[in-house]
Amino acid sequence: MKNRAIIIFLILLAAISVFIIIGDFKSTRPDKQGENPFDLNLDEYKDVAPELIKYKEVKNFKLDIKGLAGISYDNGNLYVAGDSSVQVISLEGQLVNNFPLQDEPYCIVANLVKIYVGNENTVSVYSSDGKLLSTLGPFTENSVITSIDTWEENIFIADAGARKVYRFDSDGNKLGEFEGKTGKDAQHGFIIPSPYFDLAVNTFGDLWIVNPGKHMLENYTFEGSLRSFWKASSIKIDGFSGCCNPAHYAFLPDGSFVTSEKGLVRIKVYKPSGEFDGVVAAPKKFKEEGYAPDIAVDDEGNIYALDFDKKMVRVFELKQTGL
Amino acid sequence: MEKKAENRREFIQKSARLSLVLALGGVGGFALTKTTKDEWVWQIDPFKCTQCGRCESDCVLAPSAVKCIHAYDLCGYCDLCGGYFKPDANELSTAGENQLCPTAAIERKFIEEPYFEYIINEDLCIGCAKCVEGCTSFGNGSFHLQIMHNICLNCNECSIARVCPSDAISRVKSNEAYKVKGDFTTNT
Ligand code: SF4
Ligand code: SF4
Ligand code: SF4
Repeated sequence: MKNRAIIIFLILLAAISVFIIIGDFKSTRPDKQGENPFDLNLDEYKDVAPELIKYKEVKNFKLDIKGLAGISYDNGNLYVAGDSSVQVISLEGQLVNNFPLQDEPYCIVANLVKIYVGNENTVSVYSSDGKLLSTLGPFTENSVITSIDTWEENIFIADAGARKVYRFDSDGNKLGEFEGKTGKDAQHGFIIPSPYFDLAVNTFGDLWIVNPGKHMLENYTFEGSLRSFWKASSIKIDGFSGCCNPAHYAFLPDGSFVTSEKGLVRIKVYKPSGEFDGVVAAPKKFKEEGYAPDIAVDDEGNIYALDFDKKMVRVFELKQTGL
Repeated sequence: MEKKAENRREFIQKSARLSLVLALGGVGGFALTKTTKDEWVWQIDPFKCTQCGRCESDCVLAPSAVKCIHAYDLCGYCDLCGGYFKPDANELSTAGENQLCPTAAIERKFIEEPYFEYIINEDLCIGCAKCVEGCTSFGNGSFHLQIMHNICLNCNECSIARVCPSDAISRVKSNEAYKVKGDFTTNT
């Protein structure tokens, strides 16, 4: 009798357990969602064929600096701008120097004797030991300075807010400004939906400017005439995706472009002709929906990616072929 | 760049705004037709929403009382809109096969070369958040979801809030019924 009661009790217990398990299985609790039929699945674009990845991450170093804004390489050191300071860091990650900034930085470039820091609507020029030498601007009330580069006596400044490029000489005199080519048969002027507007001068003295709304890299004379351009618009690995890419780029010593994209975060290399060359870092290396890393390149062609999400500099070297 | 990202809204408000005369479809929908001033209503925090799709499937109404709205002052008016086009669209045209929205609820209107305006047709929107995901991933995040209070039944317990994995839906006073990105009610 007693055994029968125990058996009935156990059967009941099992039935209740099964009921609870099925109920839980069918429940729509937040952690129990079935497949979302409307999911925008980007996984196929995050996977990159291994043979396309031509670089490997060889080291990285954490940064102790808030409000990261940008990175630049010059003469054996990296220059990283943050909230209120610039850190000069050796290629091994050792802090070499550190100096305060007067304004909130948006971008940085260092050349042999000077460091240029882009602020909202000015550019501060510092000596290599951090002394404020001069200020360029203020530009316009809409200005957001997102990129600077220099060539000999020329300073080029990209203003995402005004959608213009300014040219100054090294004494701070404004030599000109331009908005990109517009016209019926010409490319449209700079289209900048969000504050990503990069420019750089390569080792041959060619000024290339990103037209992010068109997924184009455009080559201009110093006076602002369009000379040539290339375009790569595609979510696939050989193109630029989203509304404004590439967000950042830098040149390899041979004039190839190292591009960094937002949205589907990835770093790639394009030949000087604009032909896709290979991948430096695939989307899976970065935080999902993270920020596009700013890029610097050293004299050997090693790539330094400023990972805003992980707050570190990540160093990529070309893989040795045959290994 | 962290700063740049934080300042994205400000950037667009101050620089990318175009002198466009925009039709504001659906503003009427922002009336609180089913509640009084002192009532509590359900609200989506668009900054918490992770576009899980449950706003489409779990509302007691079909189609859902949740709709996509557009913050025009955050929009880049891009030709290549990540909320309008499928990631692998063959071309930037309004052909159905290129559109991300499963109900073709987004109208793409040419403004001036090379800018386009994107208007949500509330009657067609089912609140699936697919466009929101596309816009958030590839654009400025100007598309976002809201519970429309001229449609919502203001259930005692919102069945979407119960299952929202991001805790993005909460009860608020009806005089603060909408939490919108940007300023979509003005377009100058
Ligand atoms: S249930 Fe929550 S996370 Fe999912 S779409 Fe609705 S508000 Fe967004
Ligand atoms: S994609 Fe979904 S949320 Fe967006 S407009 Fe279409 S139906 Fe509405
Ligand atoms: S309160 Fe009811 S009608 Fe309104 S969104 Fe939630 S489930 Fe839908």
